[in-house]
Amino acid sequence: MTHYSEGSAAINGLVNCTECGLVAKKELTVCPRCNARLSPRRIYSLQVTLALLITAFVLYIPANLLPMMVTEKLGQVEYNTILGGIIVLWEEGSEPIAVVVFVASVLVPVLKFIILFYLCFCAIAQGAVSAKTRVNLYRLTEFIGRWSMVDIFVVAVLVALIQLDHLLNVQPGNGTIAFAAVVILTMFAANSFDPRILWDKPLKRDEITSARK
Amino acid sequence: MIKTQFVACDHCDLLLDAPSLQEEQCALCPRCGHKISRLRKNLMSQLTAYGVTALILLALSNMFSLMTFNLSGNISEINLWQSALNLYFEQYKTLSLIVFIFIVIVPALVIALILFFIALIRLNHRPKALSNILRLIFGLLPWAMAEVFFVGVLVSLVKLVTIAQMNLGWSFWAYALFCVCYAKVLSLLDRYQLWSWLERGYAHDSL
Ligand SMILES: [Zn+2]
Ligand SMILES: [Zn+2]
Repeated sequence: MTHYSEGSAAINGLVNCTECGLVAKKELTVCPRCNARLSPRRIYSLQVTLALLITAFVLYIPANLLPMMVTEKLGQVEYNTILGGIIVLWEEGSEPIAVVVFVASVLVPVLKFIILFYLCFCAIAQGAVSAKTRVNLYRLTEFIGRWSMVDIFVVAVLVALIQLDHLLNVQPGNGTIAFAAVVILTMFAANSFDPRILWDKPLKRDEITSARK
Repeated sequence: MIKTQFVACDHCDLLLDAPSLQEEQCALCPRCGHKISRLRKNLMSQLTAYGVTALILLALSNMFSLMTFNLSGNISEINLWQSALNLYFEQYKTLSLIVFIFIVIVPALVIALILFFIALIRLNHRPKALSNILRLIFGLLPWAMAEVFFVGVLVSLVKLVTIAQMNLGWSFWAYALFCVCYAKVLSLLDRYQLWSWLERGYAHDSL
């Protein structure tokens, strides 16, 4: 239960269709233009976002522990995790690439976790930062989410390209599946989060009890 | 008929009177700064032009080699299909499917659907399923990762130049140009304008 924000469509008895942007009366359950289901805020937005986020967080552990890439060089097999690969890149002297991979595969997912967990927390309790800042944080997660896939694509290209039998060959490790799942799940989590709840005010406890009566 | 006298911001639900925009003007939400709509000049013809170009470039980038890897005489070469399909035959089916869907299928589908939608509107033919197509287009947008793949190709290229001789193929350049066209299509897409075509025909482009 929440107080819809001042001046919002919801407080005026209207519903904004998330699919097509039509503003309809709140009595309608289905959008007359695009047939999408209408509701003033996305139903169970918080629960769905949190469920996806927690699943992604659990998968992030094997994604970091399992190897992303298995390289065989003259019969010697080498397993590289995400962080291991970055360290190797740095030591080999390709610092710029190491930074790119670090940003895409470590910084972006971690930032996404922190921001989305924080936004979910803000929707329940009052956060310290303003709603404007929060919505900007939300836009940031929406924008950066896809870029974590860079590492998966790098592995795919290397595996397809480098197949010289025992001289040099590259195989994808099991970490790739876990990591791809993390990226996809966090993207779904960001998509299912409804930023409009950031502007609403949660009901105080005595207001909830009086609403129940 | 549905009257669109109000619009509401997607990011903060602020209720606003539908703005009457001049061409190339942009409506921003006064509360959160979210871009609500931008009225593009000749949007339909621009979308068609960039969309067709992008599809041709994508087809071309599937035909030639992406890059060649030469390690002291051992030469291997990949094209766009192979970066996914090689993996498929190497029994990494999930990975190859994910890659191929994100870098080729979804971007191609988005553009093909936009062109199909525009063609039907131009023919003044609006079957009921057209609204589902429009919803599908906007739903697919986050899953098209052409530009992310391109950065991935660049990263692997820089990784490999230190150990082997790398040569870029035609597909590399075609895919680079495809990414540019695709980004242009994305920046042109305006939800309010596209839905207004569906509703009232493209003679009335305004909100
Ligand atoms: Zn709708
Ligand atoms: Zn707004």
